[in-house]
Amino acid sequence: MRGDSPILRTVARFAVPLTVWVSIVIFLQGHNLPGGGFIAGVMAAAAGAMYLLAFGVANAALIPWWKVPVVGLLISVLTGAGAFLMGRSYMDHDIWHFHLPIVGEYELPTATFFDLGVYLIVLGTLMTIFVEMAQEEGR
Amino acid sequence: MPEVDLLLPSIVFAPFLAAGLALGVGRFFGKRTGFLMVLAAAASFLQCLQLAVGTVGAPVTFVHEWIPGLRVALSFRADPYGLFFALLISGIGTLVGIYALGYMPALAPRRLGQFCAALLAFVGAMLGVGLADDLILLFVFWEATSVTSFILIGFWYEQEEACKGAWTALQVTALGGMVMLAGFILVGLTCGTYSLHQLTQSRDLQARLLESHAFLPALLLILAGALTKSAQWPFHFWLPRAMVAPTPVSTYLHAATMVKAGVFLLGRMLPLFGAAWLWTAVLVPIGLVTFLLGAYQALTATDLKAILARSTVSTLGLFTAIYGLATPEQDALGIFAHATYKGALFLIAGIVEHATHTRDIRRLGGLRRRMPVTFAVAVVAALSMAGVYPTLGFHAKEALYESLLHGPRLAGSAWQGAVIAVSVAANALIFAAAARFVSGVFLGAPSEHAAHAREAGPVLWGPPALLAGLALGMGLAAPTTERMVGALSSHPDAALHLSLAPAIGGPLLLSGATFCLGILFFRARGGLDALRRWRPAWLSTERTWDAAMAGVVGGATAFSSHWQSGSLRWYLSGTLMFTVGLSGLALWSGGLSLRDVVVRFEEMQWYGVALCAMLTASAVMVVRSRTRIGAALALTANGFLTSLLFVVYRSPDILLTQILIESVSTIFILLVLYFMPPFRVEGFSAMRKAFHVAISLAVGLCLFTFIMLSTSPTLREAHNLAADYLSRSLADAGGANAVNVIIVDFRAIDTNAEITVLMVVGLLVYGLLRSRRRSP
Repeated sequence: MRGDSPILRTVARFAVPLTVWVSIVIFLQGHNLPGGGFIAGVMAAAAGAMYLLAFGVANAALIPWWKVPVVGLLISVLTGAGAFLMGRSYMDHDIWHFHLPIVGEYELPTATFFDLGVYLIVLGTLMTIFVEMAQEEGR
Repeated sequence: MPEVDLLLPSIVFAPFLAAGLALGVGRFFGKRTGFLMVLAAAASFLQCLQLAVGTVGAPVTFVHEWIPGLRVALSFRADPYGLFFALLISGIGTLVGIYALGYMPALAPRRLGQFCAALLAFVGAMLGVGLADDLILLFVFWEATSVTSFILIGFWYEQEEACKGAWTALQVTALGGMVMLAGFILVGLTCGTYSLHQLTQSRDLQARLLESHAFLPALLLILAGALTKSAQWPFHFWLPRAMVAPTPVSTYLHAATMVKAGVFLLGRMLPLFGAAWLWTAVLVPIGLVTFLLGAYQALTATDLKAILARSTVSTLGLFTAIYGLATPEQDALGIFAHATYKGALFLIAGIVEHATHTRDIRRLGGLRRRMPVTFAVAVVAALSMAGVYPTLGFHAKEALYESLLHGPRLAGSAWQGAVIAVSVAANALIFAAAARFVSGVFLGAPSEHAAHAREAGPVLWGPPALLAGLALGMGLAAPTTERMVGALSSHPDAALHLSLAPAIGGPLLLSGATFCLGILFFRARGGLDALRRWRPAWLSTERTWDAAMAGVVGGATAFSSHWQSGSLRWYLSGTLMFTVGLSGLALWSGGLSLRDVVVRFEEMQWYGVALCAMLTASAVMVVRSRTRIGAALALTANGFLTSLLFVVYRSPDILLTQILIESVSTIFILLVLYFMPPFRVEGFSAMRKAFHVAISLAVGLCLFTFIMLSTSPTLREAHNLAADYLSRSLADAGGANAVNVIIVDFRAIDTNAEITVLMVVGLLVYGLLRSRRRSP
């Protein structure tokens, strides 16, 4: 997995950012349109895998991937615990309404934070496995 | 008074807090951590004393809700007997703490912190056992004593003996505790309360328990807990093994407190179960056998601590028998007398070991001149153990004989003679063991080990001297002692008469017989020792227990090495069989089968048929493929074809998921292909092939049935989950995408569990691969 294919590199230079961008869009629209944290996380991991194949495992391993799911779980659990601390049941979600200056009325369900945790866990776990497996192969 | 309300939980929980402190700051305090331990124990003692003096007649209680749904409460109650127990625990705990300051060798600060923390946690757990009013709370503290004593017994964990002793103790006492929990639950379910106070006071509840079917099992289960904790025959073997602990621990756990917890529990349960004949029929024989056997083994043991441990077992047997005979008025006196003299003797054994570096009584002797203070203390304590006038031990023995002669259960019964004979013989053996302890260690010509012995400092001989002083002083001050133990007994209204001038009568006569027999046994101890050779090996319950434990370990090893074979195929078969079995059971119990499926052939489209044909073809290719990469590609093709199915059903969310998962898993398969063993398709036996085919068919059939049933119009109209979710999605959760709303909102707790599993899997892969790479 040294990443020595020029074709793959050239494609990946465009495809990786594009995929990540799509994954973020899919994540944000998830509550109303097809998408959500799980799919977006898998898609981001696919982008990560492409990066790994194109630029080599050494570059992909620069991020400590195993910490990402830990942060993700923390976000998810804290979201759920927030409702618990305010005297409602665990994982009871809320919808926040904002009046933003330009956008106008904006709705943000607290479930989005929970979904962000899911996103990070899926991405982090898959990337941990990819990077570790690829390093194993490089030996 | 509000401050008194909080006094009870603070007595119990303060030692735990101090334990945490000792563990946390021990490394900064160094040697001074020991003072923290003494201070915490002393504080508990003073608080108990305050309660005992300040609240005579009206026991303080503390009740706080814990698990109201199960009627379990965090309740404490300082009745006289519990308070007596708590005073004993915290008082002797303080003395042992002081002794440990001088006894524990120069430990690393970290280890000293651990020692103090474990001892303090033990103090807290024991106080909890003494003061808890709720049976479940009592059980929690009971098991906490088992666990902390495991840590304390195995404190020298570098030695194999220590590990073994600690293990045996934990196995016996913790198993006993769990059995006891079952008994408690039976009592709680039958009577509707776990409160000891209510259970022991209410005649209605006792009558209800007595009439129910739960009475017999509850009685036996609770007795099992008490008898294992108090090291009664046939579970007596763990106590001598636990003597590998540091001496302060042995003193504290195995003479003064923990082993008394079982006896204490018997005292607590007496009002509840004492009326049953089975109570007497179980406790009296076991108690007397332990009494006699322990006393005999105490006389013939050679290790100083073993002598004391065996005689402790013996005395606990006596208490068991006393409770079995329902004559508990003397329990506080007997327990207090035993705690003082046995605690003192254990501490002296520790001093002797420190000075001579041996505990073998055959190598000791003649320490009288070299260690005069220790000698004097030992003589006083041994006199109390032997029950010689005017010590506390004498009064306890008189009270015992009194109750044997005139007790309500025994007087006039056919067994009275036998019980008295056994008691006299066992007491005589104890007398001989006490005499042997003093003469073997201190009298005679100095041995080579004794040649360089020097007197210990006051930190070491102070605590045993205080205990021995109590044993003598309270024996002399008989009227005060009578009032005190009368007030603190488990049955305070029962009359108990102590006087300095012994009354001429039956008990004194039996005491005389005990002394004569004791002197005879002491003279003939060589002959008694020879008796051991006549005992057949199979009689040893210790060996049976060890064999049973080895059997458990062997069985578990055989089971897991068969099940955890390391073969992925086998794991997969197991998982699939389980899944099929479970869903088959669900179908069967729901009364559903393929017959309930309604298929509307007129809805069939040509592209549906084509898709199914391609799916089947790719599935066949997976199975027929000769290379692994071929199989992997065919599997991928199958997955992408499946995603087309979601196009047909217009389900974009799942379609997206399916495509992404297929891409990522293909990458993954290619990554791990490199490590796979050679692809093997030949060489399976016909049996194995048939097995695989059978599992595959079962899985296919099961899934097919489920899918067909869930899409079957008749069932969809009856249980339409989808419509329910769709209607609530936007209104309740503010999301139009019902699939995502289900994941993150309606079933968020499920998702929470799933992502936790996912994270753990990722971390495991990381850890396993990293550690493998680091160790070539």
